[in-house]
Amino acid sequence: MNKPFQKIYFDPYIFFSLILLSILGLFFLFSASNANISIVSQQFAYVIAGFIIMVLVSQPDPDIFRRMSGLFLIFSLLLLGITYLFGPEINGAQRWIRIGYVSFQSSELLKLAVPLFLASFLFDKKLPIQRKEIFISLVIIFCCFFFVFRQPDLGTALIIACSGLFVLFLSGLSWSFMGGSLILLIISSPFIWNILLHPFQRQRIATFFNPELDPFGASWNIIQSKVAIGSGGLLGKGFGEGSQTQLNFLPETETDFIFSVIGEEFGFLGVLLLLSIYLFLLLRCFYLALSARDRFCRLVIGGLSLTFAANLIINLSMVVGLLPVVGMPLPFISKGGSSLMSLFLAFGIIVSMGTHKKFLPQ
Amino acid sequence: MIFEERQIEKNNFSSRAILLFGLIILSLLAVLIKVFSLQVSGYSDYQLAALKNKNYAVPVQSLRGEIFDRNGKVLVKNEPTFDLITRPNLISDIDSFLEEIEPVIFLSQTEKNRYKKLQKEKAFVNKELVLKKDLSDEEIARFYVRSFNFQNAFIAKRYRRISDYPQIFSHVLGYTSRTDDAYKSMPEIPRNNWKDAELSYAHGLIRGRTGLEEVYDKYLSGVHGQRVFEMNAMGQLVKSLSFFEPVKGSDLYTTLDVEAQQSAAKYLGDRRGAVVAIDLESGGINVLYSSPAYSINQLSNGMSDIEFQNLINDPDKPFFNRALQGRYPPASTIKPAIGMYGLSKDIVSWDFEMKDPGFFTLPETGRVFRGWLKGGHGKVDMHKAFLVSSNTYFFSLAYQADILELSNHLSNLGFGQKVCLDCFDEDQAFVPTPEWKYSTMNAGWVKGDTVNLGVGQGYLVATPMQLANYASLLATKGQFIEPSLVILGNKKKSLKIWQDDGFDDLDWAKMHTALLGVIESDFGTARSIRDLKEFQVAGKSGTAELVSLDSKEAYLEIRTSELLRDHSIIIVFGPMPNPRYAVSVVIENGESGGAVAGPVAIEVLNSLINE
Repeated sequence: MNKPFQKIYFDPYIFFSLILLSILGLFFLFSASNANISIVSQQFAYVIAGFIIMVLVSQPDPDIFRRMSGLFLIFSLLLLGITYLFGPEINGAQRWIRIGYVSFQSSELLKLAVPLFLASFLFDKKLPIQRKEIFISLVIIFCCFFFVFRQPDLGTALIIACSGLFVLFLSGLSWSFMGGSLILLIISSPFIWNILLHPFQRQRIATFFNPELDPFGASWNIIQSKVAIGSGGLLGKGFGEGSQTQLNFLPETETDFIFSVIGEEFGFLGVLLLLSIYLFLLLRCFYLALSARDRFCRLVIGGLSLTFAANLIINLSMVVGLLPVVGMPLPFISKGGSSLMSLFLAFGIIVSMGTHKKFLPQ
Repeated sequence: MIFEERQIEKNNFSSRAILLFGLIILSLLAVLIKVFSLQVSGYSDYQLAALKNKNYAVPVQSLRGEIFDRNGKVLVKNEPTFDLITRPNLISDIDSFLEEIEPVIFLSQTEKNRYKKLQKEKAFVNKELVLKKDLSDEEIARFYVRSFNFQNAFIAKRYRRISDYPQIFSHVLGYTSRTDDAYKSMPEIPRNNWKDAELSYAHGLIRGRTGLEEVYDKYLSGVHGQRVFEMNAMGQLVKSLSFFEPVKGSDLYTTLDVEAQQSAAKYLGDRRGAVVAIDLESGGINVLYSSPAYSINQLSNGMSDIEFQNLINDPDKPFFNRALQGRYPPASTIKPAIGMYGLSKDIVSWDFEMKDPGFFTLPETGRVFRGWLKGGHGKVDMHKAFLVSSNTYFFSLAYQADILELSNHLSNLGFGQKVCLDCFDEDQAFVPTPEWKYSTMNAGWVKGDTVNLGVGQGYLVATPMQLANYASLLATKGQFIEPSLVILGNKKKSLKIWQDDGFDDLDWAKMHTALLGVIESDFGTARSIRDLKEFQVAGKSGTAELVSLDSKEAYLEIRTSELLRDHSIIIVFGPMPNPRYAVSVVIENGESGGAVAGPVAIEVLNSLINE
């Protein structure tokens, strides 16, 4: 503590569980991609870069993040705007931005920027939070949600909204306000269904509630995913032996449905192991949040780790058939640089917030 | 913020964080429970679903059994042909492949076009494709010399269903043809997979359509095998997982006789007609021939549309099986049956005599029924009535009959019934009753109808099969065996017994003597065939009138139109006194029964007996 500049801010629990997850992820990706070495090596490069980013981001003092949060939000929104203006359209959606050889999903940054900014906005406000502050926060959350939703990318938009709402909730939003909002949401749901949702989004939700309507069309994915997981049994079919995966009955094996690959090839025991690592990671974050040095750090750790958890649970619930299909990768396992970078960035911030201590004034 | 406030804030945060993390843990638990229900509780269902996804089972066609005659001669066999089969997924450039194979195998432009059209599709799913069917010996030799150049092609044996006697056995053996119903035999293989069946026959999945091929189809067809491929989501075959060999169908040993059938065909010639012969010892049918016939080889293995249309439109109706479906008035051949009725009902006796003036006058209306000989036969008793075939005698006997009793009697002799155990599409022909006449013609039964029945004319019709069955009943004195083409497992069929208290052994003996006299005596109507053989034969001939005429002049006029001429009919059995075979012959528009149908029947008997 006497030599703060010689200290490396580092949390071994988070670090090693992420190493474990990343190694397992590469392993699973190898099987899910039908042993495609180039996909796996590219992902490996992302993982290495991610760890470096995480360690670098862990070092600055939380106050720096707090002061930069406004700029960060504006920067993220600016990138979103550029995506909207110049981004290529892929499968009817504009989500990607290309700079040189690197292309990434600009919305990923908002998952970090929104909770960071709201935490810095709310950390010194009196309890309970006043209406004016609630209103400003909600406007920011809604704008970010709406911009991403229009790309369209419902999954990420929901995650961004969640990340903001988690911070708002943790900072002491009154219960009566939340109750009122819930009632309002239920009343307005027909409006959301009919006007805001795209036809393909509506269809996904419809097939979720009635998958046998169209077994070869929209509900193919979810049926094949269930068959893959279910046929894995207790011990799984073995590495590279999953017929659903290897014979391409399962869609999107490298991205959204990689959990089904794990279920098929490694069985219930494999699933149990994977979920244990995730749970351990979350419990560690929970501990860091409770023991953080100030309210800003608590809100950021809470907001980011809960966002991570929501991301995880939405993916898991989707592939096992508990939720309708929304595009959402399995954190640290699915192929994809953007989401992996934003995850390592988030955990870098969490480690920074959790490991910088300040002596309380006596 | 002051310290207390910070403490309140921290407590507030902690409780809310506990709430949210609690919810997260509960959600993870829900996911875990769901995974457990999929992987542990629902395992067997999902495992089955995964297998159903990837396993692609195709049937492997079994060979049909062969069909033999009673002496072990092959009637229908499987003859190999050779097809050139390609593996399109191994062909990268289709044009250069065809160019390369052209000097080896002759290909027509349509064959090339068809191949080009299907090649891509089959290549994508790794399935095989036939390039050329029925290779010649030279093509096979040329291919084998160069086969190292063609790793993407091979020659496969494909069979054809062939008979060495395609014409004479056409109706009785029947033909096979392609079927869309093969999938019903193996419900475990999805219907759609049958299009990729591994074929053993060049003609594809076949089944028996007529004749023995149809009746014994299950017995002949065997059990298809199965090959299971692993298939991916795009429908591509990845590899073969398992193979169950097909089981060849059972061979069918019939009671047919090649030589006798050949005689029937030879002596019937190109006339329209039918011959049926039955072995009295077993009830086995030795001859079942209908003329004109067609080639089952052509029908089973592909025939041009024009040839087929010619057969369909032929006025002689070659597809019509006259032996089983031809309906002919039995004419005078019915007289033994009428005699049996008269004797058993005590209407007449062997000693009863009457005068035959050449016609019978119906007392009620004065209608005249003529005999075949002008002036009549003088005094006739029953024996003479059979020999000279006196119509007057049987007109007068039938006049005294009760029509219901008589119909019943004829039915007991097999008329109006299906009599063959395993014949394809046998017609049961017809015995008339007053009830039938009233309901179809809206007219009452009159005495004249019964009188006509007495000489086998009028509404009564019978098939050659029924006539042969009736002949075997007469030959065995009522103790005959049901006719059939196949006797499975050497099982003795039970006797069919006809008996009547009014018709005893003595009556049977006298009946045999009389029917023997029809052919062997100097007065018999069929004495012209007496010298065609070296053994004695009993029988009864008949001439079925197609037009009822009252004057000889009109009759002569009618004779000029062939299709209105009388049918010639005979039933015989021999060698007497212990008959072994019974034969019936019908020749359409052949006129006089004994002289026309008789020689055919005798030649068939000759070849059966002299073997």
